[in-house]
Amino acid sequence: MPNPTKNRERQADDLPLSGLEVVEVAQGVAGPFCGRLLAALGANVIKVERPPKGDWSRKIAPFLSDDNHPESSALYLYNNTGKKSVLIDWETESGIDTLTSLVSKADVLIEDWDVNYRESAGLSTEKFNSENPGLVEICVTPFGLSGPYARWKSTPIVQLALGGYLSIMGYPSKEPLMLPGHQPDYLAGLNAHNAVQMALFERDIDGLGQFVEVTMLETLTNLHQIALEMDGAVRVRNGHRQSSLSRRGFPPGVSTLPADDGYVTFGGGSVAIWEQLCLMLGRRDLSENLDLDNLDEIAELRCEVDEIMTEWMKGRTREEVFLDASRNWMLPVAPIMELHEVLADPQFNQRGLFQDIHHPVAGTAKYPTLPFVTSDPLQEFKRAPLLGEHTEEILGR
Amino acid sequence: MNGKKSTPIRSSGALKGVRVVDLTRVWAGPLGTRILGDFGAEVIKVSDPRLPADRMGGLYGKLNRNKSSLGLRLDTEVGRRIFLELVTISDVVIENFRPRVMPNLNLTYDEIMKANPSIVMCAMPGYGAEGPYAEFPAFGSTAEAASGVVSMLGYTTDRPIQTGMSYADPVSGLNSVGVVLTYLRRSRATGKGQYIDLALADSPVCMIGEYLVANSAISYLPTERGNEHPDHAPHGVNRADGDDNWVAISVTTNDEWQALCSVIGGDRLSDSRFSTQDGRKRFEEDIDAVISDWAKSRDTVSIMTQLQEAGVRAGRVSNNQELLNDPHLAANDFFADIDEGENGLKRYDGQSIRGNILDKSEWKAGPILGQDSKHVLVNLLGYSEADCAALAIDGTSVFNDESSTQS
Repeated sequence: MPNPTKNRERQADDLPLSGLEVVEVAQGVAGPFCGRLLAALGANVIKVERPPKGDWSRKIAPFLSDDNHPESSALYLYNNTGKKSVLIDWETESGIDTLTSLVSKADVLIEDWDVNYRESAGLSTEKFNSENPGLVEICVTPFGLSGPYARWKSTPIVQLALGGYLSIMGYPSKEPLMLPGHQPDYLAGLNAHNAVQMALFERDIDGLGQFVEVTMLETLTNLHQIALEMDGAVRVRNGHRQSSLSRRGFPPGVSTLPADDGYVTFGGGSVAIWEQLCLMLGRRDLSENLDLDNLDEIAELRCEVDEIMTEWMKGRTREEVFLDASRNWMLPVAPIMELHEVLADPQFNQRGLFQDIHHPVAGTAKYPTLPFVTSDPLQEFKRAPLLGEHTEEILGR
Repeated sequence: MNGKKSTPIRSSGALKGVRVVDLTRVWAGPLGTRILGDFGAEVIKVSDPRLPADRMGGLYGKLNRNKSSLGLRLDTEVGRRIFLELVTISDVVIENFRPRVMPNLNLTYDEIMKANPSIVMCAMPGYGAEGPYAEFPAFGSTAEAASGVVSMLGYTTDRPIQTGMSYADPVSGLNSVGVVLTYLRRSRATGKGQYIDLALADSPVCMIGEYLVANSAISYLPTERGNEHPDHAPHGVNRADGDDNWVAISVTTNDEWQALCSVIGGDRLSDSRFSTQDGRKRFEEDIDAVISDWAKSRDTVSIMTQLQEAGVRAGRVSNNQELLNDPHLAANDFFADIDEGENGLKRYDGQSIRGNILDKSEWKAGPILGQDSKHVLVNLLGYSEADCAALAIDGTSVFNDESSTQS
């Protein structure tokens, strides 16, 4: 079994991606999150930033220093751990030459150039691969390089709208709700990592790289909990309960309800869990003669059970409910954890999910590492680079 | 400029020749193995032969296309031996049981590694293989709560609501693919296997990294809720014509603001209070009111198209049916029409990774339980027809295979 406490002690040359040379010109979250994963697994990731300000995420709040120093953006710091930063203005003639020469020696190029930018900067999809046939070029954009939206602009809320996620979040009587932060970008970053690994797998066999595209819209559309067709049914938002299909109810009981010190989510979706939940509540009668096809009855039952569960949780903390329901009733239940509670959680910490990283401008903070533990330990996470910190080391000037 | 390039056409599917033993159920695990199958890996889904054998469409079809099905009891001595024989000729084992299940079957990583030292084994439990919550049940809907994501979701700060989509599942499914392929490449190169413990609850934690970093360092807590942006306005959804139709609109620069004003027209937005980003954020409600008046009698597609063509970030709120008819997705050949036999041709979301590595021509429908049992036992493991008959009789396997011994 993996031992997280002994994790992160490994020498760089033993890591699964040791020797892999990656150049990243992508900015923000999607491409850089992909680069961050490659760096964590041992790749040498050179982040190329354009002067004078570098990656746009350096300007995004929150900042860890009092004076909103661009070296202290949490978004940049998190997504760029373990990389080297080189300043190159690839919009100048000498700059594109320098970038091209860097990429000619690389295994992977991570970029986020959309059609508009490619045209204005003269960057074709063949440019780098024609000089370096082994190159895997991953292009991560909101909409991709072809199709009617290819020239459109995006941002997380627009992406979540078009990708079908807004439609299933929030109360039916109110406006649809977005996911917090930069979720479409992170999801596309994970997908980009998968694409890179597949292209590398294929390259291991025949030596050839390729140009691969990942788009946010397709990534989101790919990850719905239902098959889209569903015989014409529409999935609707359902507030603090699991979103449901317009024509068919899940078994009731999947909902987020108040305990004494916050909220608890009860999972569900099967009759067996429903019966177990009713047993815990001391209301076995509610699980008898259940007619799952009677939607009116199910809807009524949901409201009734919400009330019974809320009453049952009075006088109990989230933790008491979580431990009792999980340990004694084997129910899928979890407290809605606040950010500081996540950071202090004994389970996450036993797995070594967080690591303290010191940064000369931003100071020390706790960073999430990787969502998995492996039998061969990985390396310690290293801090994000300062703007242009490695220009001299990499370019010799 | 469509992403195609002129390198020689490769056979089909980047992962041809990779064999995956799939013990996963529900969503996160099957999504991960489905992605491997989409790219040509041979995914053998191992299921208890006592489960019902009906082919189910819908979610099952979506998550289990491009897989084969072997019915096999792992809790009998014969079944366990066959499983380990399958492991010896495979590259990857993926399971998402609770941590005690595999040890109870005497199928720990050590046992599996003894059968095949090169194997990459990925366990996908709720909270991880060890630790105080290790044996607690977890779903995507509860793991997202434990991860902190949900604490930032809601209309107000005092009432969090769940995503409604079990967010930990798709994130964990995506994570499994990258890490498995990373170690599979190394196993191919060095012969060395790996055990990966990928926790459902850990996956969404890594999707809000910036907030956790800031919370740990300066006790930062986002105060915005609903669809508000901390700095920019307008930023939200506006009701359009129709029953429950909405369009998301976001303005982040002065140019975009000017573009929005020119599309909406009239003089209600040409107010000096709105000329700066700070002013727009401060008087956000007044701006939203004007946009709402303008949008409410227009249809979502025309609002979105008009705004985007003027340079404003906008997107209609699509539901699952509208996604199936999205012209951009269709133009990019995103969808996959899969022949599900007596259910007919069903349209599914296809793959979101494009390039030569994807070949949809060989995609097949999700399997009926046991439809490939004979193929696996006879063609891959060398059992005889008589052996299969015995395995059927004692219930170790199940055979639903009118046409599966070929290939």
